[in-house]
Amino acid sequence: MAPVRQPDAGASSAFVQLTETRRFAYAQGRFKFFASGLFSFSARFVKPMSRQDLIDELKEIVGDRYVLSAKEDVIVYEQDASILQAMPEIVALPADVQQVSAVVKAARRSGVPIVPRGSGTGLAGGAVPAEGGIVLSLARLDRILKIDLANRVAVVEPGVINLDITKAVAAQGFFYAPDPSSQAACSIGGNVANNSGGPHTLAYGVTTNHVLGVEVVLSDGEIVWLGAMVPDAPGYDLCGAFVGSEGTLGIVTKVAVRLMAQREAVSTLLAVFDDMDGATRTVVDITAAGIIPAALELMDQLSIEAVERGAPVGYPRDAAAVLLVEIEGVTEHTQRAMNLASALCARNGAREVKKAKDDHERELLWKGRKGAFGALGTITPNYYVQDGVVPRSQLPRIMRTVADIGKRYGLRIANVFHAGDGNLHPNILFDLRHPGELERVIEAGAAILRACVDAGGSITGEHGIGLEKKAYIGLLFNDQDLEAMARLRQSFDPERRLNPAKIFPSPAGCGELRVGPARMPAGLWI
Amino acid sequence: MHGSLDNLCARLEQVLGAGSVRRDPLSLKEHSVDGQAPSLICVPADAEQLGAALRIASEMEVAVIPWGGGTSMRLGNPPRAFDLALALERLNRVVEHDDVSLTATVQAGTKIAALQETLGRARQFLALDPPHPAHATVGGLVAANQSGPRRMAYGGVRDQVIGMKMILADGTPIKAGGKVVKNVAGYDLCKLFVGALGTLGIITEVTFKMAPIPESAATVLAQGSVGECLGFVSELLRSRLLPAEVAILNADAFEATGMATDTAAVAIWTEGFTEGVERHLRDIGRMAQGVGMAPEILRDRPHQHLWEKIRDFGAGENLFVYRLTVPLAAVARVLMTAERKDFLAAPLAALAFAGTGTIRLVTKPDAAPAAIFPKLLSLANEHGGHAVMEAGPPALKGAFDVWGPSPSTLSIMRELKRRFDPRGMLNPGRFLGNL
Ligand SMILES: Cc1cc2nc3c(=O)[nH]c(=O)nc-3n(C[C@H](O)[C@H](O)[C@H](O)COP(=O)(O)OP(=O)(O)OC[C@H]3O[C@@H](n4cnc5c(N)ncnc54)[C@H](O)[C@@H]3O)c2cc1C
Repeated sequence: MAPVRQPDAGASSAFVQLTETRRFAYAQGRFKFFASGLFSFSARFVKPMSRQDLIDELKEIVGDRYVLSAKEDVIVYEQDASILQAMPEIVALPADVQQVSAVVKAARRSGVPIVPRGSGTGLAGGAVPAEGGIVLSLARLDRILKIDLANRVAVVEPGVINLDITKAVAAQGFFYAPDPSSQAACSIGGNVANNSGGPHTLAYGVTTNHVLGVEVVLSDGEIVWLGAMVPDAPGYDLCGAFVGSEGTLGIVTKVAVRLMAQREAVSTLLAVFDDMDGATRTVVDITAAGIIPAALELMDQLSIEAVERGAPVGYPRDAAAVLLVEIEGVTEHTQRAMNLASALCARNGAREVKKAKDDHERELLWKGRKGAFGALGTITPNYYVQDGVVPRSQLPRIMRTVADIGKRYGLRIANVFHAGDGNLHPNILFDLRHPGELERVIEAGAAILRACVDAGGSITGEHGIGLEKKAYIGLLFNDQDLEAMARLRQSFDPERRLNPAKIFPSPAGCGELRVGPARMPAGLWI
Repeated sequence: MHGSLDNLCARLEQVLGAGSVRRDPLSLKEHSVDGQAPSLICVPADAEQLGAALRIASEMEVAVIPWGGGTSMRLGNPPRAFDLALALERLNRVVEHDDVSLTATVQAGTKIAALQETLGRARQFLALDPPHPAHATVGGLVAANQSGPRRMAYGGVRDQVIGMKMILADGTPIKAGGKVVKNVAGYDLCKLFVGALGTLGIITEVTFKMAPIPESAATVLAQGSVGECLGFVSELLRSRLLPAEVAILNADAFEATGMATDTAAVAIWTEGFTEGVERHLRDIGRMAQGVGMAPEILRDRPHQHLWEKIRDFGAGENLFVYRLTVPLAAVARVLMTAERKDFLAAPLAALAFAGTGTIRLVTKPDAAPAAIFPKLLSLANEHGGHAVMEAGPPALKGAFDVWGPSPSTLSIMRELKRRFDPRGMLNPGRFLGNL
């Protein structure tokens, strides 16, 4: 919700936002919605004596400066980019894997849970310490350890920022493919935990397709490698099972990622449509025609309106949708695919098709898409980012349903999303100051998720279940399915010490979870 | 097994109906694994029956081996016990082909060739190419993790599976993933079942990503010494070209394709839009000439024929097949080492997929693995890779773990096995660490 911030907002506004958030948190108290059982927690507060002992022990391990326990220090860690907040008791910032392991062991002895945290850009409350305990920040493990271009592998620590991997190899003609829109801020550890995607994962795959191995600290402090530097390691694919486990199976301390060679040619077009149906049908037609674009991104009228108010790029304000198509490969391929794609745009009634002639023009076409999320603040005080998926064939229908849901709940919904994957991001706009509106927003969000599931899709394509969606996982999986997942959990973390209260629906507890406007790092898009 | 065979047979027939059980000697022999024949074959009609059969089997602690097409049964350690073969042949339907979304849901017993034919009607295909597609099944391909050529372009099994239904050892049906290409709801249990060789549960249905059948496809074939081939390939891999697969065959391997003797070769598969393919053929041909090789272009039948041979490499009876997986830059060193006359003292056919680092080495039955496998293990290890003995004559297996030395994560794998199959009745002993 509502980062009412401009992309270049400075430190002072961060402060303003923080205090505002706090006021909200206190004013809201325990929000009714959560007490209704949708979210549940049970804080295991450490007894006063042992709490101080634990703090002392942690200080021994990571150094005095890197253990935070005063309220004014830990409050920064109470929230990620979702609307959920819970105060951590202790925050520890280890510097290396040995320290991570020692912290985990200490926590285990004291019986407190551990919540790993990367950059805190998660949108599902994954890094929020819903059951209290220690928030373990991996931010200081931020070194790129090895770049091996001959083998197309890089080994990095979890706190490395996604974009920095590509930056480190771009001059040599390589890139790291999964590119969440938050890539300027999110950590690779968080990406692994959430199996993050991005605009270009349509052609290249998501995080799990690019991670060869991970070093993790298990819940008993043991340090192990899952996977390897090559694929097909004998035995169960533990690395594959780990990616996307949202910090519940272990703490990532190293990641071996694949690097890809940059493509010879990139072509991009932007098509303007007078109705959403034409745009979604084009998406369906392009993939059905056997063209796998690198990216296929859609924005609706409300998002266009936001962009044109916030950071105008010259989109026609009366357009119902703009579609961005990007194709990569050898020149002959991109030319032919581009021609086909633009013919399909025209056939589905595109009013205008602009092709970028060079890198500069390409950046211009992307600018509006990248600015849309940040610009939402110009048309609404708050918004709630949803994340659902449908089979591509269902896109036209689901977009009509989303519009209907907006009408039914009396809410405006701005859609900016990874259309080629069928991955929707309906941003539900609202004003937190209007009593009852947030409840309606949550209900509308749930209705969208139900519609996605009814269409044969999923309740999350890339943001994860975290705290936010654990009440909805039952829409997809029955008790037996979830119990099978629990067997995996128990094989790694039998005491449920790591990131408890996430993913699985759990009985109501007494933890103190609140809601407040999300804190978005500046300059990100979605 | 608790109780008698007759009892098991009667219980299965009672629940699944007469005709669901076979025990004639010929069928039993045909369902042998590493020389061990089962006592009974059960052929459930659907997933529900399969669950019922598993429930009975688990009550009686019967050792069960699921049976797809039987094409990957040489993989793994010899089974510790084998009472019941659960044949998936009747689970052979394409449940749904959503061609617009490029996904398909298929029952596990469906033969790959039959599936490709169905998909082909909508000009799509599953970009996985296991040996013997007329017999190999979807479930077997997934459980044995058989990707085949073109992994460079499309990824492996784990990258193309998006959903699964499986039945656990106690008969509980579960599902994982879904029907959409992007999905992070809950743990990705599909990954756990890909390549698990049916030791955690029996796969009954798989949903895959599909690929459009390319407009055009062709191969550049260039012959020369292994050294020349490697030089050529390393230049190719440094370029911006995007071949679908790059295979290097040493002289013995190339000979096995029936194409030539006494020379190694590189085969490069390119596909896509016609103009893209022609561009690849041109540039790759020029590159080959640049290193002094004489490239030829194969299209249509000769192109298909060559890749079928490559796909089926090592699939003959009684051979030893080793798979080494190493970092890309180490492929050259591994192949050169394997070429050295003093390395193994046995004739060796070698096939490498240079874009994925997968190398298969095949030796004749008289080359004892006890001398060879340790050497291959340390060769792979030296380069940060691993080695697996994928097949060997039953009499010579069993003395060592065909999956190589157990990793430090064996305890987690054991724990998983214990929780998914507490009685250890599914494919007992065949997986890594005799799980
Ligand atoms: C503006 C914006 C745009 C976004 N766009 C996208 C997008 O395009 N695609 C997409 O997929 N996501 C997107 N996201 C979501 C988010 O950025 C991703 O989920 C990201 O991977 C989170 O990384 P992080 O470092 O911020 O993790 P955090 O938020 O700190 O944590 C996320 C989860 O990972 C766990 N975790 C973190 N580090 C570790 C570790 N080292 N070991 C184990 N567990 C760990 C945490 O416990 C938590 O469950 C977006 C978010 C924002 C705010």
